[in-house]
Amino acid sequence: MSYQIISIAGILYILVMPVYIVYILTKNKKIGFAATGILSTGALIHIYGFIQRFKEMYAINHSVMRSIPITNLYESLVFFVLCIVSGYLFIEWKYKNKSFGVFVSVIAGITIGLTDVLGITKEVQPLVPALKSNWLLAHVTLSFIAYAAFGISFITALLHVIVETESKKSFKYIFSTSILGFMVFMFISLIFDAFSASNPKSIKIFHSTLGNSSIIISIFCWIALITIIFLFWRFGDHMKKIVQSLKITSGFLEDMTYKGIAFGFPIFTIGGLVFGAIWADQAWGRYWGWDPKETWSLITWFVYAFYLHAKFIRGWKGTKTSMIAVIGFLITIFTYLGVNLFLSGLHSYGSM
Amino acid sequence: MLNRVNEKVWNFFASTELAVALFITISTGAAIGTVIPQSIEPEPVIKFFSKFMSISSAHKTYEIINLFDLNNVYHSWWFTFLLFMFALNLIVCSIDRLPTLLKSFKAPPQPYPLSVLDKMPIKKTVKINNDRILEKIKELFQNKGFSTHVFETQEGFQIQAKKWNKTRLAVYLTHLSILIILAGALIGTFFGFRGSMNIVEGTGLNFAISDEGKAIPLGFEIRCERFEAEYYENSAIPKAYRSYLKIIESGKPVRENIVIEVNHPFTYRGITFYQASYGFQPTEHAEFKFTYFDKTGKEHNINVHFEENFKIPGTSVTASVVDFSPALGIDEEGRLFNMSSDMINPAVLVEFENNGKKTQQWILKKIPESWQTPYGKLRFNELWGAQFTGLQVRRDPGVPLIYTGSILMCLGLFICLFLRPVNYFAVINKNQVVFYCPTSKGMVERQIDEIIKKLKGDEA
Repeated sequence: MSYQIISIAGILYILVMPVYIVYILTKNKKIGFAATGILSTGALIHIYGFIQRFKEMYAINHSVMRSIPITNLYESLVFFVLCIVSGYLFIEWKYKNKSFGVFVSVIAGITIGLTDVLGITKEVQPLVPALKSNWLLAHVTLSFIAYAAFGISFITALLHVIVETESKKSFKYIFSTSILGFMVFMFISLIFDAFSASNPKSIKIFHSTLGNSSIIISIFCWIALITIIFLFWRFGDHMKKIVQSLKITSGFLEDMTYKGIAFGFPIFTIGGLVFGAIWADQAWGRYWGWDPKETWSLITWFVYAFYLHAKFIRGWKGTKTSMIAVIGFLITIFTYLGVNLFLSGLHSYGSM
Repeated sequence: MLNRVNEKVWNFFASTELAVALFITISTGAAIGTVIPQSIEPEPVIKFFSKFMSISSAHKTYEIINLFDLNNVYHSWWFTFLLFMFALNLIVCSIDRLPTLLKSFKAPPQPYPLSVLDKMPIKKTVKINNDRILEKIKELFQNKGFSTHVFETQEGFQIQAKKWNKTRLAVYLTHLSILIILAGALIGTFFGFRGSMNIVEGTGLNFAISDEGKAIPLGFEIRCERFEAEYYENSAIPKAYRSYLKIIESGKPVRENIVIEVNHPFTYRGITFYQASYGFQPTEHAEFKFTYFDKTGKEHNINVHFEENFKIPGTSVTASVVDFSPALGIDEEGRLFNMSSDMINPAVLVEFENNGKKTQQWILKKIPESWQTPYGKLRFNELWGAQFTGLQVRRDPGVPLIYTGSILMCLGLFICLFLRPVNYFAVINKNQVVFYCPTSKGMVERQIDEIIKKLKGDEA
């Protein structure tokens, strides 16, 4: 079955993480080669799984264009990971820089792992009529390529902010460590949510932790959240030292952040907004309906437009713009997953 | 005095600060609209807030929300005002900056003072012995598609190499495209309409119902000849649904055999019809269609209404339809149950009466075994006129502008992000060449390295 093959790719993504760490610490060329090798093998297995999934869908739909597996939440997450891993491998090859492979493998491994933990349905589902459109296909494919580009720019931007901080009292230090702390808390919370939910379809994020019906547990979780953020704040400078030992120049990180956004933004505009609007126009007779997903993608678009304007017109440099890139990706994640989890709308096909 | 005020107002609208403030306020406003239920009716809003507070506070909150139109954000006066300010900001910005940019294209190039060049982030020095070095560098740049200018200054020769300078105009194309899209949306709002219509199979309508609940006359009648929904095997997931339509104008059919489906709309007289939904609506007019096969194998078509008696041809039996299910299923214990309100597996319960003796039998459309009755084979063909097709109806003269704007926006974005202007400066003094570049990008630096390598290679 395709999802088992993809899970193997996910395991490889997690296994490659320590290899990258050892490479960073030892700078041993052979280990670096092994890291790239494992990550590439993972990507190849992933592609193989993707093709198997295509075949499974073809058996139901009997149409090439309707069998490209990007039509539900599981498939889209899988495709997103494939894009981010291939994008990273391209950067590694082009810039001869293996510095942020650890972070890519964490994101890739966790995302594939989450699809297992959260019990997101992996069944091959037949397509409802609205999804039978080539515009939709172009819309989804390009959106996820753009999300992956934004994802890479998020990693480099966050590293950039971490590398550039001097004191624990500075805003950027507090900013980067709180975001990391919050993301770790959210990840742990998601696992609790998944286990406490009676039905995989009814997972509500933070339901078992911050929003627990028992006030004591809720307060305890708030304290835990603050503690985790505090720990990240307190010991974050160690992370800075590790990142600095990677010998990544802050110029490279800033440049990668810009490149990710400069590549992702026009793709997001054409794929996410324009093709999405054309599809909605063909399917329901309205190109823009202020549906929550549409509204949040406009907000995402605004944030990245702001990033580019800050970069070009204001001549903002350094961590200020990188922080916008970090916020941009958090909003992108919300547009992608949060809208489906918290708000209702037409994109509910993407639900679990 | 007046001029000063004018200038201040102008500068306010031309400022990037305003643009940033608008980015933030529009985003925040739009985000609020995705959280608070957008409904003109108070109930859903109050219900939403009563989850977080007491009912009386929820009522008060509703009043505040209603005052600021937060339950109708995207059509509220303040949101429209923000979008208007956004458009104004774009226009003023362009008028403010475009002429200076255009002038800079026309102005004859000037040598840069060395103090400016020295501040540039990229600076590379090479020592080379070559008499034709000036020609050589010029040639190298020109081969890479740059246009070059040479100046003689106190420090020696200054070469300026420029490429893709005019792509700076693409920003204005992108901004213009936003204005075109906004104009298209405005035209659509004022000169177009949106509505929906539910047409019961076999009937027709000549008006649509707008989102506000008003009737919009179409000027012609649209009839639904037939509606069909296909389902995936053994499931309630629709595979496709389509309506067979016909247009009737002043009593005469003008267009026939129109088939519309999801993602395949149909346009007539500037009005487009979209297949949006469907539903089950038992009406008095609904007709059950049967075929009866008598002993000689002859087929008899029977059309009856609900609870209407009909004779089984060639026998003394009378029958009538006493119950109907749009989707009859059999549960694990063998009991019949209604799976869904969609017409997945329509079935009728027919009551037969023969000499005062009454029997009942379910006849399922999709299961031929159920057609065998004690009185012969009775096939249930379909329930005609019980489904309605839900159509979205729209006329929007702004759509061509929206599409034009979208194409221009993509074009503009690709040009301004992928074909950014590249400028190099080289100062030649005796046998030393210094390269400068005002932007520090990996690609730019490599290009200089490449040129230096070629220069050196030439020397060797």
